Parts: sequence; structure tokens; C-alpha cells
Amino acid sequence: MSALWISLVIPWAAGAILVVCDGRRPAIGWAAVAAVAANLVALVVLASEVLASGAMSETTGDWPLGVGITVRADELGILFALLSSLAVLAALIHETLEGCHDRVFPGLTVLLTTGLTGVFLTGDLFNFYVFFELAMAAAYVLSTYGGTRRELGSALVFTTVNLLGTFVFLLSVAGVYHVTGSLDMAQIGERLAGVDASTAVLIAVGFFVAFAVKLGLFPFHFWLPTVYTGSGPAVAAILSGGLANIGAYGLLRFGGELLPAELELAAVALIVLGSASVLYGGLLAISRRSAGEMLAYSAIGQVGYVLIAIGIGGPVGFGAAILYAVVNALNKTLMFLGSRMRGTLVGAAFALGALSIAGVPPAAGFVGKLELFRAVAGEPVLIALLLLGSILSLIYAFQIYQFDFWRLEREGAVGHAGQRAVVAVLALLVLAIGIWPEPLLALSQDAAEALGGSGS
Amino acid sequence: MNLAFALAAAVLFGTGAYLLLNRDLVRVALGVVLISQAATLTIVASGLSRGEAPIYPFDDAAAGETSDPLTQAMALTAIVIGFAVVALLLVLILRTVTAFRSRELDEIASEEAARDAELEREDAGEHDREEAAAE
Repeated sequence: MSALWISLVIPWAAGAILVVCDGRRPAIGWAAVAAVAANLVALVVLASEVLASGAMSETTGDWPLGVGITVRADELGILFALLSSLAVLAALIHETLEGCHDRVFPGLTVLLTTGLTGVFLTGDLFNFYVFFELAMAAAYVLSTYGGTRRELGSALVFTTVNLLGTFVFLLSVAGVYHVTGSLDMAQIGERLAGVDASTAVLIAVGFFVAFAVKLGLFPFHFWLPTVYTGSGPAVAAILSGGLANIGAYGLLRFGGELLPAELELAAVALIVLGSASVLYGGLLAISRRSAGEMLAYSAIGQVGYVLIAIGIGGPVGFGAAILYAVVNALNKTLMFLGSRMRGTLVGAAFALGALSIAGVPPAAGFVGKLELFRAVAGEPVLIALLLLGSILSLIYAFQIYQFDFWRLEREGAVGHAGQRAVVAVLALLVLAIGIWPEPLLALSQDAAEALGGSGS
Repeated sequence: MNLAFALAAAVLFGTGAYLLLNRDLVRVALGVVLISQAATLTIVASGLSRGEAPIYPFDDAAAGETSDPLTQAMALTAIVIGFAVVALLLVLILRTVTAFRSRELDEIASEEAARDAELEREDAGEHDREEAAAE
């Protein structure tokens, strides 16, 4: 049993058992925490193996290569898997300390971790869809967590919109299979290069729409504010820190690896959409007065930067996109978990998160912004846009800080000591990346190299 | 992919999209069902081929065409997943209907709009008070 299998099998088995247990009992909650923690440990072991000896892949069921489904771990996949697992673990610990008031919350969270790990570590296109649906189905149920009318209304919107997105994705999968006759991502990449442009562009648009819906990019964002503000802190953290990574990863993997020519063709469109997201999210976030709403609109703005970096492409652009996606997911997890807690420690963590969103040292966001500026160097319009976006985010983040912590308008409990510790650990992680960014920088650049970014 | 399949999938998807825009929640669910069928049909159509039964390992004697087994496997998986998520959606709709006592999306949306308007009013009030204090 390699670490690759262990990281998938543990949460899968544990989730299937835990989902039928009564999650309101603390023991079940802690069992779920243990399962996700075991998944995280297996992923860390796997990451060290991948960094030492390069990408690895295995075929299921001892089939020869090309017949069985391949699972593979390369730098890009393992980075996103680690990040998502960490975000989900933090949210799960936070909620278990609070005390779950729903039977299925712990089990579904573990199943969601399985889905996310599988999505990032599969080398087979249809298998990607299966894991993707597993993660989404768990998320549909989690979005109803709380069960009041407000959550039900937002869960309905979330489920309908995202189901449409997944079926659009499936149509594109069918299209890929039709023109290449293969489901293995490495093979597809080779064979798609010879497909005529009009067909490939149609397929690429389908993938783009599906992942843009996941990320909540403008103009596919309309479901996002309702859902992020309608659900509790833990669920919002899971959705924005864990599930949204599928969108960023999908754009990078499918755009950068499978359809690089189409990505270059659409570069201008991507940059325009990304810029629209940045401005829209930033301007609407300024007009909000509560942390949850500000963060929801901020999420729309922040993924715009990722899209701009992907549009620029090439090793530098992809590297910046990966780094920014990672930093953004950490920020959002930290901010959402702390969004309904009071106290000095949470205030300090919130301030650090705000610095990180705005891209000011010493927080991690600064490193992300720096890479973005490196990527757009020589494009005065984009540099101006990034500056404007940074100013907007500085205003909205600190405006909320002022309302919540200086005027003490925030409603909520001081929180359990353990919950404060979770927030503090996340804040320290954001700070550590900001002060010592080399490991993450190197990893994101390796991942970008692995994508074979040959862009401008 | 032949024309009959393409037309059938297009009609299914179009009808599904039309229903998805309906105000009635049950019709929205039916729209999702039709769209999932369109996706399944497209998968089936993506690898139509005639030939020998695809049993591994291949017989060297029958070096002719083997039919494509993958589309069947994918279509079955897609049907099962589609069935599961549609069941989930129906349960969600049932819970929403019992909570709101209505099948109309408008009523759910209007409640949310009312909540947003309330927030706006509070914020505007706060803002006015701040302005007055700053005078």
C-alpha cells in the first residue's frame, strides 16, 4: 500500500461508516477529524515522495497501462490536495468544538475530503468526473447545514447552478472522448493537439464554464454571495477553502495541460473576465458592513487575479496563478472561520488576514501579489488594474476590521479556546508563508513547469 | 456521433434548460433530469462502433474491430450519478417546500430580497448617524 492509495482509502472508508453514525455525538466528530488528519498525513508523506523522485502514477486493479484507471500524483495535484485537506480539517475541528447539530455533518465532510483528494490525484478524465461529483454531492448537503429557511433557499440555488455546471462538464468529457478516443489525461493532451481548432474550442468553452461556475467568476458568480453568507462559518470555509480549489485546479490542468493552444487563443477573453471579477468583487465588497458578506464578494474579486494570471500563461503566469490560488484559499479559510468570533486574538488574526487579502507584507498575500506583478510586468493597463484591485481590497478589509473590532459591532461569542487556537494556527501559517515564502514559491514554480507552460 | 443522436441530445438539453428557468421548483428538478439525460446520450453517442465483443485479452485471430466498451461503462456511471444527485435535489426541494409552504421560486427569492433590503436599511441608518456625528 503506497501513500497514494492510503490517502484515498482512509477517508473513503471512514466517510462511508461515519455518514450513518449520529454526528451530533462528539466522538463521531473527533473520529471524522482523525480520518481527515490521517488523509492529510498521507498526503504529506506522498508530497515528500513526489518532491524527492518526481511525479508517480499507478494503475488500478493491476490492469496494464492504458486499460485500467490511472491515479497519479504530480506537484500541481499534490499541492492542491494538501491545501484542500488542510482547509477542510480546520473547518471540521472548528465545528466539532462548537458541537455539531446535524447527524451527517462529520461523515459528509470526510466524504468531501475523499472527493477532493481523488479529483486532484487522478489521471483519468472520467474518474475526475466521478470524484468531482462525490465532492459536489457532499457539498450540496453541507450547504443546507443549519436547516433554517435561509440555508435551504441558498442550498437550492447552489445545487441547481452547480448541477448545471457539472453536466456541462460531462458534455465536454463526452466531446473529448469522441475526438480523442482516450480518457487518460496524458494521452488526451497529445491527441488534442491534432484536433481542428473549432472542435477543440467548443470543448474548451464547456470546461471553462464548468470551472468558472465552481470558482464563482464574474459572470458566473450570481449564486455565490447568497450561499457564502447564508451558510455558517465552517461550511463557508469548506466551500471557499476546499471546494473552490477544484475550479482553479481544473482551469490550470485542463487549460494548461490538455488545451494549451485554446488557452492562448482565449488569453484576452480570460484577462478581461478576470479584470471584471476583480473590479466587481472589490466594488461590491466595499459597500458591505458585515464580515461574511464582505468575504463573499471578496472571493469573487480574488479569483479574478487567478484567472488573469492563467490568461497570461507561461511558467511565470501559471506559477503566479497556483501561488495566488493557494494563498487565497488559506486567507478565506482563516477569515471565514473567524468571521463570527470576538476577542483580541481573533482580531489580530483578522487583521493579518485583511493584510493578506490586500497583499501587504508580512502576510502571505504579499508574496502572491508580488508574483502577479512579476507576471504582468510590461503591461501598464494590467499593473494599474492590480494596483486598483489592491487598494479596493485594502479599503474593504480594513473597513470591516474597523466596524467589528474597533467599534465592537461584531455579534458572536468569544469562542472556545480550541477554536481560537485553530484560527491562530491558520494565521501563523499565513504569516509564515509571508515571511518565508521560498518553499511554496519553489513548489508552485515546479508545478507550473510540470504543466509545460510554453506560453508567452 | 450521428445526426439523430445529436438532435435528440440537443432537444433534451433545450427542453431541460427551458424547464430550469421555470418558477415551479418541481419543473426545475425535471429540467435537471432532462439535462442529465442529454449528457448521458452524448456519452453513448461519443463512441459508437461495431465489432467483436470487447473481452480482454483480445484474441489475435479476431484482429478485426472490437466495439468500444468504455462508452457503456461511462454511460452507466453517469446514469447512476445522475440518479443520485436528482434524488438529492428532490429531497432538497421537498424540504424547501415544507419550510416555505410554497413551490414557487419567487416566494423564496422575495424573502431573500426582503432580508437584503432590511440590511441595506440598517446600513443606511448607520451611515446617516455617522454623518450626523461627524458634523
